[in-house]
Amino acid sequence: MEFTREIYWNVGHGVVIPMYLLSFLAMGVCAWGFWKRVPVYRQGKSLARLDQLPRRISLLLSNLFGQIRVIRVLNPGAFHAVFFWGFGLLFIGTLLVMAQADFTHPVLGIIFLKGTFYKIFSAVLDLAGLAAIVMLGGLLVRRFVIKRDMESIRDDYVIHTLLFAILVTGFLAEGVRIAATELVQNPELASFSPVGRLFGLLFLNTPVDQLALVHKFLWWLHFVLVAVFIAAIPFTKLRHIFTTSANYVMSDLGPKGSIASINLEDESIEQFGAAKVTDLSWKDIFDADACTSCQRCQDRCPAHTTGKPLSPMKLVKQIGETAEANPDHSLVNVLTEDVLWSCTTCRACQEICPANIEHVNKIIEMRRNLTLMEGAFPGDEVRTAVSNIEVNGNPFGLAYASRGYWADGLEVSVMDQDSEVDILYFVGCYASFDKRNREIAKSFIKICNTSGVKVGILGKEEKCCGEPVRKLGNEYLYQMTAQENIELIKAYGVKKIVTTCPHCFNTLARDYKDLGLDLPVEHHTTFINGLLNNGNLKIQGEAFEYTYHDSCYLGRYMDIIDEPRSVLQTAGGKLNEMDKSRYESFCCSAGGGRIFAEEKLGSRINVERVKMAEATGAPMLVSNCPFCLTMFEDGIKTGGYEGKLAVRDLAEIVAERL
Amino acid sequence: MKLLVCIKQVPDMESKFQSNGTGDWYAESDLAYRMNEYDEYAVEQAVQLKEQLGNEPDVTVLSIGPDRVGEPIKKALAMGCDRAVHIQDSAPHTKDPWQIAAIISAFAKDKSFDLILTGMQSQDRGSAQVGVTIAEELGYGCATTIIGLAYDNGTITVKRELEGGIKGVVKLKTPALVTCQLGLNIPRYPTLPNIMKAKKKELITHPVSDFLREQELTATTSVYPPTKRSGGIVLEGEISDMVERLHAILKEKTAVVR
Repeated sequence: MEFTREIYWNVGHGVVIPMYLLSFLAMGVCAWGFWKRVPVYRQGKSLARLDQLPRRISLLLSNLFGQIRVIRVLNPGAFHAVFFWGFGLLFIGTLLVMAQADFTHPVLGIIFLKGTFYKIFSAVLDLAGLAAIVMLGGLLVRRFVIKRDMESIRDDYVIHTLLFAILVTGFLAEGVRIAATELVQNPELASFSPVGRLFGLLFLNTPVDQLALVHKFLWWLHFVLVAVFIAAIPFTKLRHIFTTSANYVMSDLGPKGSIASINLEDESIEQFGAAKVTDLSWKDIFDADACTSCQRCQDRCPAHTTGKPLSPMKLVKQIGETAEANPDHSLVNVLTEDVLWSCTTCRACQEICPANIEHVNKIIEMRRNLTLMEGAFPGDEVRTAVSNIEVNGNPFGLAYASRGYWADGLEVSVMDQDSEVDILYFVGCYASFDKRNREIAKSFIKICNTSGVKVGILGKEEKCCGEPVRKLGNEYLYQMTAQENIELIKAYGVKKIVTTCPHCFNTLARDYKDLGLDLPVEHHTTFINGLLNNGNLKIQGEAFEYTYHDSCYLGRYMDIIDEPRSVLQTAGGKLNEMDKSRYESFCCSAGGGRIFAEEKLGSRINVERVKMAEATGAPMLVSNCPFCLTMFEDGIKTGGYEGKLAVRDLAEIVAERL
Repeated sequence: MKLLVCIKQVPDMESKFQSNGTGDWYAESDLAYRMNEYDEYAVEQAVQLKEQLGNEPDVTVLSIGPDRVGEPIKKALAMGCDRAVHIQDSAPHTKDPWQIAAIISAFAKDKSFDLILTGMQSQDRGSAQVGVTIAEELGYGCATTIIGLAYDNGTITVKRELEGGIKGVVKLKTPALVTCQLGLNIPRYPTLPNIMKAKKKELITHPVSDFLREQELTATTSVYPPTKRSGGIVLEGEISDMVERLHAILKEKTAVVR
């Protein structure tokens, strides 16, 4: 006897027509629900996100079927992934049943759900259903029992109930069928539906005519629930099944951290930055629909976790709500200036987002409106710093002519006297002027001298790279200072640039390309690592215990995570990692131009980070960024960690061991 | 209503100053320039008044100097002035405040400005004479060091900052001249559309010879950095004794203890 089962058992082939009608109705409602959203998205400006299709499709496949970004946070990501795979298998199983019952069998006379394949089919689907129920149960307990402070909306109740009901009614209908046709007549086959069999045992002694009635009811209930599920997709958070998937396809494929340069020559532009949703791109509006409200961004946002009003998740949602209900409203009024200025552009939100939502550039676009259209600043201290950059090319307001004084007496070429150098060291404002940070510059020069690398600096001709003002939204000042630097660097025929500041590094290596500078640019951590690896630099390892801070602009933005650790290991370091390290590193508070701003809202981010470093028990915190160093020196003092923790730059550690 | 704002470009005060070859002014190398701080308050006040009066007033900004004064002129236009006058002079520092005031008066005398605004003084020369001298030359009423201004139908009411934190309120009939002090306002940051619009605004250039008819009345004989003085006083010894001595010093040299 060949194992199989009768499809449409008990309900009969008469259900086919109403079943398909209802299915098409559900799918129609679903399609209509999405179609209705299209005009909302179309309010945004155009943006090409369908080039490089093969790469986009592979992103979709790996993230959808592999659940890669979802699993990055194991709890509850793994629950979601297993649920997804279980539910996905059930969906495929249903498609196979449909294919046989309504196509291959009646049209071609082929039955493939039989024999060994049927046994596997039956067992796999049963276990998939079980996995889905267990995972859903886990998620349900997490949301409604363990994490009761989590914000749950109507959708969450509807979705959990609906999915649970679909799975349970499916098993019940199967159980009744098994009770009536397999438990007694074909127990071997029943054993290939282990879960369905258990449900069947519930009905073991029920008379067959009653079973038939119950089965009909359950079959229809299950089917109607599925139809409701399909129809509900665009109207509930379930929409993420399609919108998040679509967001993988429409990912930003440019280098991480790219910001669109404004064409300042274009005199037809009347609005700079985003004042209203219509000034954002369609993708910025779509992102709101792709958001699943998982809160991963919010949980990692340094502004949010220190009591500032910014939540990246709420910001994305509010943009979506504004696009739908009040597209004419001012975004600043909806979101507030405090929210927009709170962002440190640390990218923790974007890095972790399972839906590939782009939070940071939205904020920068809205800041551009504030800065370029309204002349606004987060505070008067920022106004002063920005005007200092305009006049003296540095935020401190110190004489530009004194920019190179730190190098007096050191073996460094100043480019206007001798431009025949191996590398141009783009020093940056902090290492040039700030007393503490000058130690980084001096250490770096010492390392280069020892390695036989001839270093040049621009001296008084160098200006701020423009990064902080760009992140504050001041694209005009950024491009003005950037152009001056670029012309200078080009004129000297520089072959390679090294920076000791991740902000300069990102700007010169990536952003200046847009403005016409295309040169190899390296950060000192990888440059030193290279010198060590190729044998040009030898250091005397000397044991020390430390914890390492991944600056946002080196780690998350540039994927430079292991090289600095490798250098520090060679130097003799024993690393005690902080919980929040590598891609999950916690900002020092100084990104996004906030280095110029007083932190007036909530608690201090830098103190928070110093606390984390101190908790590792290591007496030394090693950083790779002048902004971080500045914030940590401050955090150690204001947080009361003096004597317990010292902060050093990687270059200082290496220079001490030459 | 016609307004005139007089601005001067000065070196940033953080710059490293050295005296020039002839020893009568500072050397121009390695200096970063900006708009005189007090003149920024004057520009901001003029633009605010224009906005308060429904944009009816026409605001002219004027500066004397070499090509580089085009920068602060552009900034003033971007802040909201309507038109600019650049009086070309390659060596404005060789003119004394009387000559500068006479040049501006010669320019302004037939233009019937209702209100002229200047900074209270320049950050580099610091004579504080140009504004008041223009007023005298033109026969305008004048109020100095203003920290507040209101206009109503031909009368301006200004708040002045006097010595020791005392404030005074003065009313003047237009035409009038005011010199602006820190505290009057916070100068706006020019928006990008306004920076772009500024490029298209009218800019008239006159050689300084068109208006210069006066001889200097004062001559700068030398400009030099202050001689380095010995360090401060370090008090040592018994606490009570140090308190006595500190008290005596404060009483003798400052107004802290009376």
